[in-house]
Amino acid sequence: MLTLEKLRAFGANVEEGLQRCVNNETFYLKLVEKAIRDPAFDNLRETVEKGDLERGFEIAHALKGVTANLALTPLFVSISEIAELLRHRTETDYRQSIEAIIAKRDELIALSL
Amino acid sequence: MIDAISKNEMSTEPGAVRKRKILIVEDEFVNREILTAMLDPEYEVVTAVSGEDAEAVLLRHPGEISLVLLDLNLPDRHGLDILREMKKDLRTAKIPVIVLTSDKEAEVECLDLGAIDFIPKPYPIQKVVQARIRRTIELSEDRDLIRGTERDHLTGLYTREYFYRYAAQYDVYNPDVPTDALVLDINHFHMINERFGKQYADEVLVRSGQAILEAVGLCGGIACRRSADMFLVYCPHLSDYKAFLDGIVTAACGADKGRIRIRLGVCSETDKSVEMQTRFDRAKIAADTVRGSFTDCIAFYDNALHEKEVYAERLLYEFQTAIDEKQFSVYFQPKYYIRPEKPVLCGAEALVRWIHPDLGVISPGIFIPLFEDNGLIRMLDRYVWRETVMQIAEWKKKYGCTVPVSVNVSRIDMLDPDLIETLRELVQSGGLEFCDLHLEITESAYTEDARQIISTVNSLRDIGFVIEMDDFGSGYSSLNMISTLPIDVLKLDMVFIRNVFSENGNLRMLKVIFEIADTLSVPMIAEGVETAEQLTALREMGCDMVQGYYFSSPKPASEFEKYIREWLPTVESAAV
Repeated sequence: MLTLEKLRAFGANVEEGLQRCVNNETFYLKLVEKAIRDPAFDNLRETVEKGDLERGFEIAHALKGVTANLALTPLFVSISEIAELLRHRTETDYRQSIEAIIAKRDELIALSL
Repeated sequence: MIDAISKNEMSTEPGAVRKRKILIVEDEFVNREILTAMLDPEYEVVTAVSGEDAEAVLLRHPGEISLVLLDLNLPDRHGLDILREMKKDLRTAKIPVIVLTSDKEAEVECLDLGAIDFIPKPYPIQKVVQARIRRTIELSEDRDLIRGTERDHLTGLYTREYFYRYAAQYDVYNPDVPTDALVLDINHFHMINERFGKQYADEVLVRSGQAILEAVGLCGGIACRRSADMFLVYCPHLSDYKAFLDGIVTAACGADKGRIRIRLGVCSETDKSVEMQTRFDRAKIAADTVRGSFTDCIAFYDNALHEKEVYAERLLYEFQTAIDEKQFSVYFQPKYYIRPEKPVLCGAEALVRWIHPDLGVISPGIFIPLFEDNGLIRMLDRYVWRETVMQIAEWKKKYGCTVPVSVNVSRIDMLDPDLIETLRELVQSGGLEFCDLHLEITESAYTEDARQIISTVNSLRDIGFVIEMDDFGSGYSSLNMISTLPIDVLKLDMVFIRNVFSENGNLRMLKVIFEIADTLSVPMIAEGVETAEQLTALREMGCDMVQGYYFSSPKPASEFEKYIREWLPTVESAAV
């Protein structure tokens, strides 16, 4: 089960995230649980692998907003980087960055079990 | 916190607080949930996860959504497209939209499309979000209130209050633009109302308003509906008002060409230090100078009008002093009984003159209409009655005989509940008989509130006053009315006499009138008799009495006395 401590240890700005969730701990944790199980992470990988950078950007952009709102800083930082590249449809090898994002996401899932 | 608790408490009472509805259009569950949580206690939140969904919600809650929070990246449509469609649709155009975005590039485009504000991602803290939303709703509701009251419901033009404010604002930002104040008035609008009905009259107003709005739009001005059929326009100076007015009149007529006539008064390029309202008052004065005209329908407020206005203003201002200092002087014009070979003095009419210390003798033709307009005539009439009673009493004492004098009783006096008492006391204070004072009541007064006037006149007659109907022949008396009215004497209007004796006049008309008076056994006085020829003709037709320059102009009391002295021997011989 996720706790504030675990998230803090992960590197999330818990205070900020909590404040945005009207200081309701249960509500905040519930939203984080929901966010990390968002199929968008896997969609991002598939889409970019297929070379659809436009759609890839849309997904990354959405994920960026969500992780920013929940103040999941390490995830947010990685997603922001890739979102910027995708915004400009930069032709590069995205695999490593996407794997890093997936790994961070998996880290959180592990923490939640 | 306290706020939230008190609101919650209130909402437990049924119907106590109705929360405003906010639509959140956001496909990301987490974001939607956060915003909902932030807004939940204060607002009723409705959500949509796509463009299509949002559209459906808006249609399901017509007029109920106070605000839309719109995400730009939606699965089916871009937020900007939704914004564009909302602004195009009258049902949703007025709902304020706050865009949720972290995309700086989209901001200008959103504003251009009509978004009011942004909420960035990550969202600011709850208080900030709430404050922005509260402020946006407040502004938008204020704006709706203003829109609801600033315009006249029938024509869509500004209402007067807003018009004057916008006009003042115009001057602030365009201090050097020569600007004209215009008044447009539909001629005889009440008759259009009466003849063709209210619905038709309203259509005329709507068409006129629309045409004015279009004309004003072309020249960069503003317009309002000032009152029933009167419109105001404030616009940069135009050189051709004929074209301006023609276009409006044509549109106002619609299919009924030529039916509607509009008069236009222009107060042109005046000094902007003259108060706004005054400029429009002046345009109105100008418009009213062409009120009845069929040939002219445009009038400019010019120097002559200004001088007339200033003059009128001065007369009004100095009225009280004139009364106090007895600048008003009562003149007497003799009336002669013409049945005998040698006409005999039978009375006089009291006529007021204003002997102004600086302006000289002012004609009653100038100041009487002025005082009639604002009620000062009541005071002036009382002044004249008093002076007249004193004069009759003085002559009575000096010559031992009574010269009956008629005084004017204005229309407004007839509505005065104290009229009868005032006159009674006055006559008694002078030690006179009631029949020594004749009361002239104008013909047109009878047609206004006939029943009340007739009842007052009856009471005055019962006391013993002699009633003369003034200006007979100038108004609209019907024969039927005359036969039933309580009148002792008919005074034939001066203008009528003048016309009858003019080149194209019809003497037969006059004859008929005398026959009628004879049938009714009401004696007739002809006013304005100037020549021996007129006198002879009138006498032949059976006229009883005559007043006019042929015998004498109105004279001050001292000069009038010579007529009394001429008359005295006949009185004395009759007494013997």
